Amino acid sequence: MGNKIVTFTEQQLEDYQDCTFFTRKEILRVFKRFREVNPDLVPKRMTENQAHTIAVPVEEIEKLPELKENPFKRRICQVFSHDGSGNLTFEDFLDMMSVFSEAAPRDIKAWYAFRIYDLDDDMYIGREDLLEATRLLTKGELHPQERDEIVASVLDEADVDGDGRLSFMDFEHVVVRAPDFLSTFHIRV
Amino acid sequence: MEDQVEEIELKPVTVRRTFTLRNNVARQVAVNFMPSRQIPYGTLRLRRSNSDSEALLAGGADSERQADIIVREMEQLQRLMEDNPVSEELRREALRDLPQGLTMKRTVRAKLSASVSLRSKHRPISFYKRLKYRISFAMKKGRDRISELIFSIEPWHEAIRHVEGQFGSAVGSYFHFLRWLFAINLLLAMLLVCFVVVPQVLHDQENNNKTGSMGFLDFVSGKGGFEDSVLFYGHYHWGDVSALGPLTYNMPFAYFFTMFSLYFFFFAILCYRTAYSYRRNFIEIAGGLSNVFATKVFCGWDFGIVSQHAASLNASSIYNEFKELLSEQNKKHVTMSLCRRVCQYMVNVAVTLCVLALVAALQYGLWQLLALDTQLQHWEIFVSLIITFVIALCPLLFNLIVRVEYYKARTALYVTLARTGLLDISTLTLLLVYWSQSGTPCWESAVGRETYRLVLLDSLVSLFLLPLVEFARGFIFKMSSSSSSTGPEFNLSYNSLTLVYNQGVVWVGAAWCPLLPAALALKFLLLFYVKRECALRACQPARKVWRAAQTQTVLYMLVTLSLFVTLFAIGSLFLRGSSEWCGPFMKYSAVWGVVSEGVLRLPDRPVLHALLAFLTRPGVIAFLFLSLCVATYLMRARARAQRSMVGILRRMLVLQAKDKDFLLAAIDKVSNGEWLYNPREEDQSADSHTLKYLQEVRKPSNAAYHFDVTRLNHSEPRPHRAETRPHRPHSHHVATRRTSEDGDTDSSFSWQGSATCLNNTNDDKLE
Repeated sequence: MGNKIVTFTEQQLEDYQDCTFFTRKEILRVFKRFREVNPDLVPKRMTENQAHTIAVPVEEIEKLPELKENPFKRRICQVFSHDGSGNLTFEDFLDMMSVFSEAAPRDIKAWYAFRIYDLDDDMYIGREDLLEATRLLTKGELHPQERDEIVASVLDEADVDGDGRLSFMDFEHVVVRAPDFLSTFHIRV
Repeated sequence: MEDQVEEIELKPVTVRRTFTLRNNVARQVAVNFMPSRQIPYGTLRLRRSNSDSEALLAGGADSERQADIIVREMEQLQRLMEDNPVSEELRREALRDLPQGLTMKRTVRAKLSASVSLRSKHRPISFYKRLKYRISFAMKKGRDRISELIFSIEPWHEAIRHVEGQFGSAVGSYFHFLRWLFAINLLLAMLLVCFVVVPQVLHDQENNNKTGSMGFLDFVSGKGGFEDSVLFYGHYHWGDVSALGPLTYNMPFAYFFTMFSLYFFFFAILCYRTAYSYRRNFIEIAGGLSNVFATKVFCGWDFGIVSQHAASLNASSIYNEFKELLSEQNKKHVTMSLCRRVCQYMVNVAVTLCVLALVAALQYGLWQLLALDTQLQHWEIFVSLIITFVIALCPLLFNLIVRVEYYKARTALYVTLARTGLLDISTLTLLLVYWSQSGTPCWESAVGRETYRLVLLDSLVSLFLLPLVEFARGFIFKMSSSSSSTGPEFNLSYNSLTLVYNQGVVWVGAAWCPLLPAALALKFLLLFYVKRECALRACQPARKVWRAAQTQTVLYMLVTLSLFVTLFAIGSLFLRGSSEWCGPFMKYSAVWGVVSEGVLRLPDRPVLHALLAFLTRPGVIAFLFLSLCVATYLMRARARAQRSMVGILRRMLVLQAKDKDFLLAAIDKVSNGEWLYNPREEDQSADSHTLKYLQEVRKPSNAAYHFDVTRLNHSEPRPHRAETRPHRPHSHHVATRRTSEDGDTDSSFSWQGSATCLNNTNDDKLE
């Protein structure tokens, strides 16, 4: 009992429990995964402000098994990082895992999914975003004109206000009603 | 406007698209100042949209200021700012739903707590309120602790994650389902052992009951030495057990009430779980348009995939599905003639009738087999073996049959699941009915033995035979090493049905074989490891993406349904009568007697007896049933009305979008210094308003224009701009102006205004 290293203060754990969808045990599990990325950089004690100052560079985060095979890994890291660069502090990482967890409600997931698919970060999913997304999803297999057709069909189906790009309202309208959304937009930690 | 609506909707796709693009060209910066363009997303949640719009408009404001803005927004909601546990819970939920980073949320939380404690009026609250708050707070804390406890003993977490990473979330959901059933059976077993088995064991030790010889075949059939053991109903004592000193333990009461409460408790849990799953996977997504492309792009990638092999398979499956969708879209849509549709429908009906006949024939054959009076030594084992093989092979048969019919892929899956469920439930019900009618001395034990044998022999099939087959298939695939053919996939539907069948057997048998849930829990434990090895070593990830979530709901529904039917059957059997030679209810004429005579002591209370007799009359029951039917019909009618309302609202949404387009284009013109004008009657075509205006306006306004008042037509009653009326009484005015001045602008639409002309023409023309 004496030599046990306290990773977080009680106040911190309560804060995290209130602000994320995790229980105490899961938060510690997430910390373990985070530390595995770079044990030298991430200390064992996070009782002071290490949780939101020490940032792991994005290249190392992308090597995590959960993100390694994901075509959108770079964009995911950018969305959840505090400065948009992709380097994640522990709190960013916890936030990311909380949104991807099973307990997160549909609209939170929809908001973050929107930001992930909005590759140029202009708050709209435009044609270029969709083209890039289709390219990443099929690992570059489709012909350009097939991609154009797909993008045109997507805009046709989803774009309600007719401005040629998807606002968050359009996106949410589509995605919240998709039966697979909750099960695919889910990373188990 | 109504007739224009239809015309807009019937337009082919290509024209709509060009219309959109041309609109884009007409957009100006002025348009971006509209409120809906400022808030990049307008959700229904007041808290989020307000706080984020402010925060985003602040742009590069640092986090402190952003946090301040958010806190200020949240402070406006009175309910959030009170100093009691309910508000605290609301605050916590609001924080969680805030789409900001965690660091920001922590700052917001700190500021919010500071603000709340500043505001809290230190008014002495009444004792009653304080007590209420304390109770709700304690309950919340208790619930949190229980859920943490459940999470802390989560077995196989890493194992399931590994499988999910390799195979995708669908196979992961199968293992999740297996784990959930294992937990249920374990809980059931523990409670039964505590309340029913242990007292009986103590009683046995007291009385030193001897146990007979136990051979291996006896173990399988449950007869011989096992017959009169703790395993089965017949052995349980009919009176009081007084093994520990002066305390007595009434066995019949214990048995009955344990079974009763456990069945209803688990029924409640199952109903809750099924309803939750149904709501999440069916109702919340109902009424969605068919957005196949959009859902494919946005929900196609399974984020839980970890291995490279599964990732490349996912990518290729998405690619294949895109190609399929594209080809389907480019194909001309051939509407089937009525004759063909009727034909297909008749084929479906005919095949369904055949399947029902097959199931009925199987049940009849089973009945005859059971009634066959042979002198074979272990005939029952043979019968159980036959039942197990039939139930193991029938899903495959149904899979083949459903290919003959004309169903969509999802409907075919549901139909197969329904048919297999029907077969399982009818088999189990038949066994129950047969043994209760058979007149053997201790039929309850016979039913218990039957279910015990079924579970045991099915474990032979699913723990040994099937894995052997799958390993053999995987081995052959690896040896043949042809990269083109796809390897054996993990057969999700078949394995899930096995689980449902086993659980159904246990529901039937647990009342008469109290150790059966323990046996099933053990079996599921072994099954987990066997299936995991099978999947990892012998199977390939599936090529097609499987809609796991909705299938899960159907499986939960099947389990709940089997429990419901079982409750019904067992309830009616309990009311009827029990054996007089064995079991804890020997002394009572019917099992129900435990309650009526034992607990309520009805013979001594004639009034209560008369009341209960009245309440259980067929008339009263029929009345209750009828009112239930009426309530269900009312709710269904309301659901249908709401669904049609959703359809209406959605159409209105599209129309509003078109309105908005029109108005945006008009704002464009206004900000350019041009003014809208009433359209001419001859120029009205089937196109929309905005298209017309786009076509007519030739140049941006940078020339000096002349203001012409007559075009205003103040004298005539002008109709609302959005409506179109066939009559334009002022058209002759415009006709005379047509040949005047500017040749390049179409004078019917553009005002020509400048300050000097304003003064001149106003005086003489305005009448």
